Amino acid sequence: MSAVTATIRQVRPRPGFGALRAVLGNRKALVGSVLLALFVVLAAVPGWIAPYDPTAEIFQPALGPSSQHYFGTTAYGQDVYSQLVWGTRQSLLIAFAVGGLATVLAVLIGVSAAYLGGLSDGVLSLVTDVILVIPIFPLVIVLAAYEKNAGFTTLVVVLGAFGWSYGARQLRSQTLSMRNRDFLQAARVRGERKLYVIVYEILPTMTSLIVATFLGAALYAVLTAAGLQFVGLGDPNSLSWGTMLYWAENNEALGAGMVWWAIMPGVCVALLGAAFALLNYAFDEVSNPALRKPRKVTRG
Amino acid sequence: MRFVVRRLVFFVITLWAAVTANFLIPRLMPGDPALAMMARYRGRVNPQALHSLEIAFGVNNHQGLVAAYFAYLGNILRGHFGVSLTFFPEQVSHEVFQALPWTIALVGVTTVLAFVFGTLIGLLGAWRRGGMLDSALPPIFVITSAFPYFWLALISIWLFAIKLDWFPASGGYDVTTKEGWTWAFASDAVRHSILPALTILLTSIGAWILTMRNNTISVLSEDYVRMARAKGLSPWRVMWTYAGRNAILPNLTGFAMSLGFVVSGAILVEFVYNYPGVGWMFLQSVENQDYALMQALFLMIIICVLTAILIADAATAILDPRTRDSR
Amino acid sequence: MRRTRISLLLLAVVVLAAATWAGASTGAKAASGSSVTISNESGTTWTCGFNPYNPSVSYLAFGTVYEELVFVNALQSAKATPWLASAYAWSNGNKTLTFTIRNGVKWSDGQPFTAADVLFSFQLLKKHPALDINADWSVLKSVAQKGSNKVVFTFKTSAVPYFYYIAGQTPIVAKHVWSSIANPVTYNDAHPVGTGPYTMSSCSPQVIDYQRNAGYWQKGLPKIDTLYYPSFTSNDPANQELADDQAQWGSQFIPNIKGYYLSKSPDHHMWFPPVANVSMFINLKDPQLSALPVRQAMAYAIDRARVSQIGEYGYEPPSNQTSIVSPTYKSWIPKSLAGTYSYNPAKAKQILTSAGYTMSGGVFHDPSGKALSFTIVNIGGYSDWVASVQVIAQELKSIGIKLTPENLSSTTYDADLYNGKYQLAYGAETGGPAPYYELRQMLYSKNSAPIGKPASSNWERYSNAQVDAWIDQYGATTSSAVQHSIVAKLAGIMTSQVPVIPITEQVDWYQYSTKTITGWATPQNPFAQPAAYNTPDIGVMLLHLRPKG
Repeated sequence: MSAVTATIRQVRPRPGFGALRAVLGNRKALVGSVLLALFVVLAAVPGWIAPYDPTAEIFQPALGPSSQHYFGTTAYGQDVYSQLVWGTRQSLLIAFAVGGLATVLAVLIGVSAAYLGGLSDGVLSLVTDVILVIPIFPLVIVLAAYEKNAGFTTLVVVLGAFGWSYGARQLRSQTLSMRNRDFLQAARVRGERKLYVIVYEILPTMTSLIVATFLGAALYAVLTAAGLQFVGLGDPNSLSWGTMLYWAENNEALGAGMVWWAIMPGVCVALLGAAFALLNYAFDEVSNPALRKPRKVTRG
Repeated sequence: MRFVVRRLVFFVITLWAAVTANFLIPRLMPGDPALAMMARYRGRVNPQALHSLEIAFGVNNHQGLVAAYFAYLGNILRGHFGVSLTFFPEQVSHEVFQALPWTIALVGVTTVLAFVFGTLIGLLGAWRRGGMLDSALPPIFVITSAFPYFWLALISIWLFAIKLDWFPASGGYDVTTKEGWTWAFASDAVRHSILPALTILLTSIGAWILTMRNNTISVLSEDYVRMARAKGLSPWRVMWTYAGRNAILPNLTGFAMSLGFVVSGAILVEFVYNYPGVGWMFLQSVENQDYALMQALFLMIIICVLTAILIADAATAILDPRTRDSR
Repeated sequence: MRRTRISLLLLAVVVLAAATWAGASTGAKAASGSSVTISNESGTTWTCGFNPYNPSVSYLAFGTVYEELVFVNALQSAKATPWLASAYAWSNGNKTLTFTIRNGVKWSDGQPFTAADVLFSFQLLKKHPALDINADWSVLKSVAQKGSNKVVFTFKTSAVPYFYYIAGQTPIVAKHVWSSIANPVTYNDAHPVGTGPYTMSSCSPQVIDYQRNAGYWQKGLPKIDTLYYPSFTSNDPANQELADDQAQWGSQFIPNIKGYYLSKSPDHHMWFPPVANVSMFINLKDPQLSALPVRQAMAYAIDRARVSQIGEYGYEPPSNQTSIVSPTYKSWIPKSLAGTYSYNPAKAKQILTSAGYTMSGGVFHDPSGKALSFTIVNIGGYSDWVASVQVIAQELKSIGIKLTPENLSSTTYDADLYNGKYQLAYGAETGGPAPYYELRQMLYSKNSAPIGKPASSNWERYSNAQVDAWIDQYGATTSSAVQHSIVAKLAGIMTSQVPVIPITEQVDWYQYSTKTITGWATPQNPFAQPAAYNTPDIGVMLLHLRPKG
């Protein structure tokens, strides 16, 4: 009996307070949110947390971890911990910028394609499929190699402009399956404009999918940006985790005893990525009750 | 039938768009292969000799854009991809085919392995809800799939190859081993591929486990599964032929796509492990503004992906009758 | 039942893995006789082409398989050792050069080597300018054979320094092989026939195997039977091979070489002899930079020792303003100019203030009110150069000159540098076997070009008729005294005009292990440039090596 009522209650998940409670109740979401919040704080006020200027080459190079330098110093005499803290900003900015851009595009194109139908749908779907097929990493490499400094803007534009297709595809099929649902029929009969229907009726039902697209794109952006910078196609003078890995690699940090310099930036990327991945995983569970861990072991 | 026609149309249009973009992009970007050559030979060539080299390399060929485009298309259709600047005077096709087996062997095989093992684990995990596989492994793999691949590779080289000396640190095979179809060579090549393979597996398997698990869970709540269980069929049978077969369907397209993207994924692997495959070759071609090689590789990637998608669509159509008549 | 099938599968995999292991460990190393392995990151896999006139692969054939007429040693101020030519002589006002070709030399296929091969090689270069990578024919008028064993070179104008390129840097190929090649520019030369100490025995994209040439003209040499030259696409694996003792001859940039390589064994050694400079090139056409006080101030404000320490791990000695590298060419530095422009930030500030520059907001402004703020272009891929420029930027900042580094891709950098589209640039000339070569590259106005057109060197666009005359004078003489006096004058230009600021000295990257092999080049015995990527010095080094004990 209670299972049935539980199912009914979950048909139209309302954003807001309900979501918050769902997030806090789910352990994975909790861990993910805490991690993310931690990084947001580091990105917002690095000056309060980092003890030194990250680019100042004033310390003795290649020091090991100590109470003054939690992760030691680089081969150039900079403090690794301060670099990590200040580097958060770039990585987070890329994640959110690309995530945002890709999601907006995915929603626009995916939902419109499904809702408009007909020729528009055909054209938009074709464009989506074509972009989906183009390999992003090699393309970014080509563009980065020609750009002066493969800076922030290039990365965001390219990753965002090519990363929306997967999400658009999913949103489109979700919208398609909903086209003939009762509440939409009702809105059409009422005479609501297409735009209203899309924004106020369809979108709210796809929150989890939209969030999933955002988190997926953000994760991909962080990993790709780090990969590019590591290979040397980013701006080596910029301050981010990827460039830290680039410098560590170029100085044989692992082989020459500066182990933390090589390991920590990767750990940070992994943690940020894990935060996104955990939140994604948790959101799946929030929106699809079947995925949640069963409270009791016995099955029906 | 309409389905097949639609997919073929999509294939042709995408191919054409890719070929055209491939042609345009290097020409639109700033930079000059003649200067790229000067950069490469810095110190080894007297700059006054460079002009003749440019002509020899066919670099300052002032054809009109449209004429060059059609010449390019014609060449592609005949399989002429030109001479590589990086590997002058070898043909691009020769170099690519030499490097291709390494990439396919390493990244191709590990992708297949990751898919197979990931799907199996996901299936089993979903089948035994609440068990160890379900509660412990997925979160762990969620985290490992967020690891930057190259970082994990560096650490494993340092740990397993240098500190513990269990595996070779780099390369496709040992310097003193002769290439050829001998046991010594084959076993040496396998030994050199274990570390890269393991790191690829670790980072990519997470995604497969999760998606398969989620799909299986949705499928398990369907009526026909319940019916099968009610009929008294053995749990294995239900899992394999009823739940598994249907849960895997959405994954097939994903798997096809990932096979197509094998080369893109190979780039970082081959960079870190000094593996002589096409991924690393692509990086080289970009650095050297070797248009011919770059275009050939880019095209190859896209063709791989498209072919893979076509095959996946065909497989889905065969396995799932629903896709055949709708839409 | 399923479970047993799976476990059987697993067992099979494990057994296969174990067999692989055993097979690999025993079967791999099968080298007989003595061998040496090179560790040099070439950044590419081998194409197995060995055309010595193809700049991408010439370093794999020239020195080992193909040889030169005379060996010119850059580490001994262009000391000349007759090689395929047994003697040479200048005549006719240093416009004619006659070589006597050595007797008793054979090609690796058994055919005798004669003057006809020398003549043929140079005619080949004339016929196909794309092969003339040293631009020999830019100064040559004609090449002719005289008698059975002499070859006479006639020059358009006296160009004595070109001896290095013609005699020392041009590989001689076999007429009986190359005369039938239709297009030598695209000729692969997969089985090179040469006069050198080694023959190319087998090649795969990952490694080249050279074997000693039993019929080599220097009797009893070489003493090392096999040379392995593996290809490396990135630095790390190459460094690893050295540290593991799998390679004995390194030509690598190894960060933290003490901890990474030297400490691993007492047999591990390194030596980094300098030959040219890494400098800050100043665009003399820029209105602010054309003012001498600005350039002088910058030269005083840079702590070269610190740049070398932090950016280059101290591997590259700090340069001096004359650009004559030390200790290699120390005897060429005029005593009066040694030690000029040593680090003195106070003096830098003083020069600017007495020239009418004013400090405002931490930055100097010129008399017209414009701030001294410049961009410096650099190759983003050279991490040590990037690090060096970061140090320079900090040092200039502390005296009030703002520097913004622009890290570009190799090709964009070259475009900007050659075309003069930059304010400051961090870069290096090639140099040569004596200080003259780099000075000429930096100061000769004929090497340069107007802004917007590519200049092959002299990127700072320095132009001075008197300097050009001195450079031409050097080209006409073989007298060591005259050469020294001209170099002293050119050094004086470097210190008085400061057109370029040399920062660190470019070195040969060289590591070697004395565990199984001896005879290596050392500071006490600098018989050749020791990095394996130098041609034809690689051949000379191999001829000195022998197995220990």
